[in-house]
Amino acid sequence: MIVPIARLGGSAARRLSRLGALARFGFGALRAGFALSAAGRRVAFRVTLNQIRFTAVNAVGLFVLLSGILSFLVISQLVRQLGTFGATDLIGTVIVVAIVREFGPLITALAVAGRSGTAISAELATNKVLGEVRALEAMGIDSRQYLVVPRLAAALVSVFALIVVFDVGAVAAGFLAASINGMTGTRYAETVLQSLGADDIWLTVAKAVAFGLIVGVVPCYFGLAARRSTTEIPIAVSRATVVALVGIFICSALFAAIV
Amino acid sequence: MTAPPLEFVNVALPARRPQALSLTVPAHHTVAVLGDEASGVGALSGFALGLERPAAGSVKVFGTVIADLPERERLAFRRRVGYLPAGDGLLQNLSLRDNVALPLRFGSAAAPPEIEGRVNVMLAQVRLAPAAARRPAQASEEERRRAAFARAMAFDPGLLLLDQPFDGVTVRTAAELLEVARGGETAEGGRRTILVTGHELPEAIRRRVETVYRLSREGVLEPERA
Repeated sequence: MIVPIARLGGSAARRLSRLGALARFGFGALRAGFALSAAGRRVAFRVTLNQIRFTAVNAVGLFVLLSGILSFLVISQLVRQLGTFGATDLIGTVIVVAIVREFGPLITALAVAGRSGTAISAELATNKVLGEVRALEAMGIDSRQYLVVPRLAAALVSVFALIVVFDVGAVAAGFLAASINGMTGTRYAETVLQSLGADDIWLTVAKAVAFGLIVGVVPCYFGLAARRSTTEIPIAVSRATVVALVGIFICSALFAAIV
Repeated sequence: MTAPPLEFVNVALPARRPQALSLTVPAHHTVAVLGDEASGVGALSGFALGLERPAAGSVKVFGTVIADLPERERLAFRRRVGYLPAGDGLLQNLSLRDNVALPLRFGSAAAPPEIEGRVNVMLAQVRLAPAAARRPAQASEEERRRAAFARAMAFDPGLLLLDQPFDGVTVRTAAELLEVARGGETAEGGRRTILVTGHELPEAIRRRVETVYRLSREGVLEPERA
């Protein structure tokens, strides 16, 4: 009886210990970011722009497509169903509650973690295995400042920007769906704007920061945890993806519980 | 009295070898320590730079144990030492030119035009200018090696640590790169102090090295030639 409980406790302790290491790594990266020299800031800024190009700019089309299809499907069904009860005014509320508050940030974070988080963990694990991280440290370059800080900054900016893209795309597609199903554009715009409050904006910003931190820190942590063997690269990518996805869901649930 | 550029004092090598290693690399000398993989010779540069700590003993670089410094100072101090890791350690997503420029762009207070000027000089010195736009994966082994040498010398350091620096290059190229690394000759020897570690050295290179040591698997260090 005691052995299974002890095993359970050991497993929980290991997970907690890893969570602590992840948090320490994240705080260390933030501290390293604030300690950047002027020259280091110039280099890190250039790397950050490059990361934003890959993570956000190159993904705009994908996110417009995802948000458009999701919103079109949801609104098409809602207009028909709510129309039978004469409750089409609720469409704006549903768009704001379901898409802007919940699905927009959640799907954006999941997609960025799947698309860019995997790339980051694979890249950093390769850097580590090929001895590039060691070479950076030997040249007097803090690997967190050069590798982690720009990716973290880019993740924060990209997740926020892509949530905005997702929400705008979803509202625009909802407009199209509502129009096709007999609701006037003006009425649709009115119901959406009535339902949208300042709290929704702040909630979106808070979620963007939280999800951006997860998408930025987790892949870097697992990528740099690889040691000297190429077989560790896919393991690092897999672990980073699973932890980031679980972290995003838990974080989303916490927001729903708190707000 | 000034401290020697590099001094290993009773350093315990990996795998608990019975003999502790002591070695002083005099200023302006090029010293080679050769040994097979099991000898632990590959750990020397990492110990010197404070990337790893020996289980016992200490390594002083210009009289300072880098591993004992606080993190910021440790990183700053390493810029006084040029390092060429085994396998070159070039960043694959940067061009050879950007690889050479990276330590200067990140760690130098000089203005960008000055940095680019210095990079041009380094690329010319190692005869890499025509291939500088290539990424490591597009470059030949010799070009990558030339870039790694240029990067190690970016800050014009007084001490160079070269791990297996001549793997994959011809004896002629190796001799040329060693001459560039020495930075010209003075009355005492080369302008720079160099520690070369590796498994073997071609005879033509040995002639340009002041002292060659052989490190045995038991951790015994003996000079091959005075």
